Amino acid sequence: MAVKIGMMSFAHMHSSSYAGCINQMTEAEMVGIADHDPERGRKLAETFKTKFFPSYQALLEADIDAVVIGSENIRHRELATMAAEAGKHILCEKPIATTVADAQAMIDAAKKANVQLMTAFPCRFSPAMVRVKEEVDGGCVGDILAIKGTNRGRMPGGWFIELDKSGGGAVIDHTVHVTDLMRWVLRSDPTEVYAEISNLMHHEKYDDIGELTITFDNGVFTTLDTSWSRPKSFPTWGDVTMEIVGTKGVISMDMFAQNIIHYSDETMGVTWHNWGSNIDYLMVKDFVTSIAANVPVSVTGEDGLKALEVALGAYKSRDTGMPVALPMANG
Amino acid sequence: MQKVAIVGAGHMAKVHAAAYANMLNAEPVAIMDIREDAANELATAHDAQAFTCQPRSLGDFEEMLKTAKPTVVDVCVPTPWHKEYVVKAAEAGKHVVTEKPMARTLDDCKAMIDATKSAGVTFMVAHVLRYFPEFAAAKAQVDAGAVGSPAVVRTTRGGGFPHGWNDWYANFDWSGGVALDLIIHDFDWLRWCFGDAERVFAKGLVDRELKHLDYALVTIRFKSGVIAHVEGTWAMPAGFAVKFEVAGDKGLLDFVNKNAVPLMIARKESDKVAAGVAIPESPTAQNPYFLELEHFIDCVESGQKPSITPEDGMKAVEISLAALESIRTGKPITL
Repeated sequence: MAVKIGMMSFAHMHSSSYAGCINQMTEAEMVGIADHDPERGRKLAETFKTKFFPSYQALLEADIDAVVIGSENIRHRELATMAAEAGKHILCEKPIATTVADAQAMIDAAKKANVQLMTAFPCRFSPAMVRVKEEVDGGCVGDILAIKGTNRGRMPGGWFIELDKSGGGAVIDHTVHVTDLMRWVLRSDPTEVYAEISNLMHHEKYDDIGELTITFDNGVFTTLDTSWSRPKSFPTWGDVTMEIVGTKGVISMDMFAQNIIHYSDETMGVTWHNWGSNIDYLMVKDFVTSIAANVPVSVTGEDGLKALEVALGAYKSRDTGMPVALPMANG
Repeated sequence: MQKVAIVGAGHMAKVHAAAYANMLNAEPVAIMDIREDAANELATAHDAQAFTCQPRSLGDFEEMLKTAKPTVVDVCVPTPWHKEYVVKAAEAGKHVVTEKPMARTLDDCKAMIDATKSAGVTFMVAHVLRYFPEFAAAKAQVDAGAVGSPAVVRTTRGGGFPHGWNDWYANFDWSGGVALDLIIHDFDWLRWCFGDAERVFAKGLVDRELKHLDYALVTIRFKSGVIAHVEGTWAMPAGFAVKFEVAGDKGLLDFVNKNAVPLMIARKESDKVAAGVAIPESPTAQNPYFLELEHFIDCVESGQKPSITPEDGMKAVEISLAALESIRTGKPITL
């Protein structure tokens, strides 16, 4: 039987992708949409041929098993707590929250209500990434010594650069995906982060450049570029890459390299059209099949919290000019 | 006509000797090495005189200077010995060029600057990257405002573990590993483009005592606010990677050496086997080592100061040593 899903907010553009995925799969059924921006919610309910609910509460009272939360980062806690208390499983957009306390409250609420909380880290489902994990686990490059990661992008604009809604700029937006991949591959947690952060791309209040150095419990050191350093003219939105250096070799992964290149006289621009597998689809499918089978989701709220801690530690490192030990003593 | 004595007969000495041999106003006249056969071979190739010396023997070096009477000394020996030859050459009134890194310590760098200044000789550190056309072009684009105001820069350099005389690169007390020997190229280029560095944070394998393996990731904040991330690797089983990107508020410059290959020659292993190897080539009309040394010889002849100053050489070493210190202490190092 299909898992019945309610969509909570489309503030994040990924929600439209997830909604499209849900409508494509037989394992899930979209019951409706609620949004604190009713105009947006109504419009998207039309787009996705589903019902618009006038409030989150009304949606949660409907016959649904689970919700997808795509609000601004700052609202994740409120919506996740509401959903948990209504007994609904939760797929929450990343970063899980903007503070450790909020993330912990979400994890606790889900546990108390005995519902599942999944953090939306679709990169784990990338076929290239799955191969990386297989090869690392198989010892293909020996013991891992270091990882160089990037998650660079264009500046997304909108609420992403309103700090009271996003909780931060490029660093909170782009630290969590690759940090999660590193934790997954290394089977180890971050113990320290150092960060050089600036705003020299856009010269505004939000950070748009982040160069993080993250050390893990097993001694592996890594760096991660979180910058919104792709210009508007860049042929795609950005990248997720990892260079994994081991005692026996090196694995280089460029997650979104499967493109055809499009030169257009209409736009006088170049665009990369990605033909790689839809990782959003693979992630949503994992969520709904886990819910249907009543088995634990593969990426949890704790995973979301561990990745968030690195981003928050990076901001502290910026403020102190020193490496910051993780997890931080008082959030 | 400048007469050049080259100290060392290893890989870089061969490259430098070939460059002088192609100049109208310079010629290699003497090659000195502790290995008689290596010195003989390179000297014979260029019709120069071969000299053999005891390890780090300045007496033998002075003898060579008396006999060969060079006007220029080119130092191509392992890093920790640069200072003694540069200082001795300057004291003998010779113009000097030394391979990078300038020296293993800042004290050595200072001694080299003092000795060459007080002798009034021309002195250059061979940071050849400035003469590599892709790096020169990037600098020109940055200066012309191609990316607007630069914000973040990333570079990658490296391949397999280098082969050297007596495996000296594996002695990190001598070579300094990738942080000193390899990515000092990028440190100098970054300073050339973006000015002085303020703070360095680095992680690396230099203290792990891994056999023939080193890797470092270095983050630098420049006084201008530019942030740079520099990757240096001697951990790749195959190939040599050179990459850079400069992102600014109006654009992005991006270079990857494997995408800049005008020539690929794929050959079958033999008549009987269909399989084989493909070897990429990126030929250029002018050799960067020739251009670099041509500039140096021109400066010797004209009395002008080389565009790469001794202070540039020292400041690049300072970044490398800060990276090594950061790797050792786990702390950011303010310069």
